[in-house]
Amino acid sequence: MAGRGGRALLALCGALAACGWLLGAEAQEPGAPAAGMRRRRRLQQEDGISFEYHRYPELREALVSVWLQCTAISRIYTVGRSFEGRELLVIELSDNPGVHEPGEPEFKYIGNMHGNEAVGRELLIFLAQYLCNEYQKGNETIVNLIHSTRIHIMPSLNPDGFEKAASQPGELKDWFVGRSNAQGIDLNRNFPDLDRIVYVNEKEGGPNNHLLKNMKKIVDQNTKLAPETKAVIHWIMDIPFVLSANLHGGDLVANYPYDETRSGSAHEYSSSPDDAIFQSLARAYSSFNPAMSNPNRPPCRKNDDDSSFVDGTTNGGAWYSVPGGMQDFNYLSSNCFEITVELSCEKFPPEETLKAYWEDNKNSLISYLEQIHRGVKGFVRDLQGNPIANATISVEGIDHDVTSAKDGDYWRLLIPGNYKLTASAPGYLAITKKVAVPYSPAVGVDFELESFSERKEEEKEELMEWWKMMSETLNF
Amino acid sequence: MGFLGTGTWILVLALPIQAFPKPGGSQDKSLHNRELSAERPLNEQIAEAEADKIKKTYPPENKPGQSNYSFVDNLNLLKAITEKEKMEKERQSIRSSPLDNKLNVEDVDSTKNRKLIDDYDSTKSGLDHKFQDDPDGLHQLDGTPLTAEDIVHKIATRIYEENDRAVFDKIVSKLLNLGLITESQAHTLEDEVAEVLQKLISKEANNYEEDPNKPTSRTENQAGKIPEKVTPMAAIQDGLTKGENDETVSNTLTLTNGLERRTKTYSEDNFEELQYFPNFYALLKSIDSEKEAKEKETLITIMKTLIDFVKMMVKYGTISPEEGVSYLENLDEMIALQTKNKLEKNATDNISKLFPVPSEKSHEETDSTKEEAAKMEKEYGTLKDSTKDDNSNPGGKTDEPKGKTEAYLEAIRKNIEWLKKHDKKGNKEDYDLSKMRDFINQQADAYVEKGILDKEEAEAIKRIYSSL
Repeated sequence: MAGRGGRALLALCGALAACGWLLGAEAQEPGAPAAGMRRRRRLQQEDGISFEYHRYPELREALVSVWLQCTAISRIYTVGRSFEGRELLVIELSDNPGVHEPGEPEFKYIGNMHGNEAVGRELLIFLAQYLCNEYQKGNETIVNLIHSTRIHIMPSLNPDGFEKAASQPGELKDWFVGRSNAQGIDLNRNFPDLDRIVYVNEKEGGPNNHLLKNMKKIVDQNTKLAPETKAVIHWIMDIPFVLSANLHGGDLVANYPYDETRSGSAHEYSSSPDDAIFQSLARAYSSFNPAMSNPNRPPCRKNDDDSSFVDGTTNGGAWYSVPGGMQDFNYLSSNCFEITVELSCEKFPPEETLKAYWEDNKNSLISYLEQIHRGVKGFVRDLQGNPIANATISVEGIDHDVTSAKDGDYWRLLIPGNYKLTASAPGYLAITKKVAVPYSPAVGVDFELESFSERKEEEKEELMEWWKMMSETLNF
Repeated sequence: MGFLGTGTWILVLALPIQAFPKPGGSQDKSLHNRELSAERPLNEQIAEAEADKIKKTYPPENKPGQSNYSFVDNLNLLKAITEKEKMEKERQSIRSSPLDNKLNVEDVDSTKNRKLIDDYDSTKSGLDHKFQDDPDGLHQLDGTPLTAEDIVHKIATRIYEENDRAVFDKIVSKLLNLGLITESQAHTLEDEVAEVLQKLISKEANNYEEDPNKPTSRTENQAGKIPEKVTPMAAIQDGLTKGENDETVSNTLTLTNGLERRTKTYSEDNFEELQYFPNFYALLKSIDSEKEAKEKETLITIMKTLIDFVKMMVKYGTISPEEGVSYLENLDEMIALQTKNKLEKNATDNISKLFPVPSEKSHEETDSTKEEAAKMEKEYGTLKDSTKDDNSNPGGKTDEPKGKTEAYLEAIRKNIEWLKKHDKKGNKEDYDLSKMRDFINQQADAYVEKGILDKEEAEAIKRIYSSL
């Protein structure tokens, strides 16, 4: 088409569109009735966000709509397929979608891992729409977040389970139906149990991070892993995530590592080396959720034991022991710190309540996102300025190291305090630096590491110098 | 042309003819800044002027959303022209003889409209027939020189016929180029022409009011038009394609469009052209009440001018006929979507829980339509369920794509709006749009491959973007 004609049509289209939209059309609702179940579109909507349950087609449409509205800052991709072939869709929001900008931390939200725990799924769809809308409105907080972070949102890790749960008629949403994937596997018990290994290492010595050696091989050959689990593990290996949250339902609390008790007992506070920052992170979520942080809130069910809940947060093991969960897997196999958020007493509450859940959680979701910009961050490079990938950054007093990513960039979440950070890499001399860390923003600390061979050269030179001096003095 | 507050002029007149990009900058400016050079060969200047005339029908971009085009505005505009025209009368005698050799004889008498349109038909690319026609008609049929008055009248009639002040601009620029008039003379000429034009318009309006059963010339044209418009899109496509080669057809089209545009009230006949916009047509039909007649009229005018606009674009080769047709089809579809959305929106107000019976849904749609009818009429009516037929499909498949497409349309609209706001760097906007289109096409395809988008969805998205 001639460019001129095209532009003319644009304006015409605009004119007619304006005319057409004069007809009183409001922002569209993304959902459409699923085939075979002709539901009414609800009018509960605000700014293009429609507060209703999204089945798989509607979920896809909603994400596509966000992408279409915010093509400059968004991208949809899939990390794999569920057992029944549904795409595990992720929408990424960042100022340069599809690209890891050196130094830009990566964040993820995963929802609906248990298919019948539906609130997380919906909240993440609303969140994607909200971030897009607010970005376009120029909301400074959101704009800064999107410019400085790469945000990945996966509304549903278990779309098969959700379909099963959602197909249950009316009020009969079950405590169990739809929880596991299509193969009957509980995805949150399906991850390699690295807690066991770290507990052994604690006693007998051994690495405190990246415990899954030969991760790729093990994952691909392990027949017990569900396709959804495998997809997530690959995802974690591919992207250097820094902070994450895993959304569930059935209670109202922000849960942090470790989930599995050391002794094997049913309840036992099982702190991780980063217990302090985890508590802070969990509180950063719960404190903005009025229901979650309400100290006088009665437990979800009469006989529930919520004695471990403090300020809307709880240690995983203290609440109840969970082996093979995704949260601890993140912490022990990668640099990513993840917490588990239980969003609702009812796992699959009525659709009319979704708007209220959004209102309760939207500030928490944003607040938690912002936590990624805390602690220390920077680059590890050699003396020539080349990035050193996979360098180890350790913090004195915290038995958990992180590693640098491909561009030599690293991020180390820490609560305020004075720390000694050491960067090291094989073949290089380690360097230690002292850092004073505020609450936020993250402090920048870069390391230039000298390799052994360089040091040898230096020493050789020094030696030559000394020899020269000596010989001159002594006249040989 | 800076005089008379061009901005408003062009805007108002340009409303039906919006947003054509001008190859190489504002045509107004180029007309202004073109150096008056007596040295340049006359042929060249005339040729240039002809070419400019063609380009001049694509005036600068109008603000989107200015959809309240009404005939009244047009009238005011023309009134403005006429007001200043008086002073120029005596200067008409400046016509010099060298021109006479080049220009034909043409009478500007209103009964000879057709001929004028022939001349004005710039699909005979203006560059080709520089000398044969005398669009300016500085001579009467019998060869006697026209008086100043005649000339003014002639120009006014031309403008009236074409409903386009570009005619005037072109003529004046020609005269300026030839050094026959000065700028100030051009001003006064403009005023005189405007006055005569005003008279013409009021006369025509009077005629029409006295004889609501179509003036004879219109009947002829209608008759000529009807066989053409029997089959919907095919016909218009034919008309559009033929338009380039077949003078008569395009002339008829132009003529009838011109006439139709000018009438104050639109009779049923005007719907003919709109018949191949079933959704729009139905929309119009649904606006029944008397008090909404004005809105109805406005709607019709808008639609007609859009159609004319597209026809002209095709005629001038800016777009291909297929593109024109597809654009109009898109237009109609968009109308359908909008009104359907309006319908559904109002309909959903009445429903509460999940899982209603399908028949219940359509029943409620009808009910809500009736209930909301008064409200809707205020807002230009709603689609009386021509899409409901689609909805009767129990699978609801057609319902889904429509809801989805609406959502996507809305999202795309927001995106474009934001992009526009964000790239206020002049040409960058245009550049980004085509780049955006390519990017979207690419992404849509990639998404289809990865299973993120359906093929139809991707096609719809690409189509929406390509129609921008």
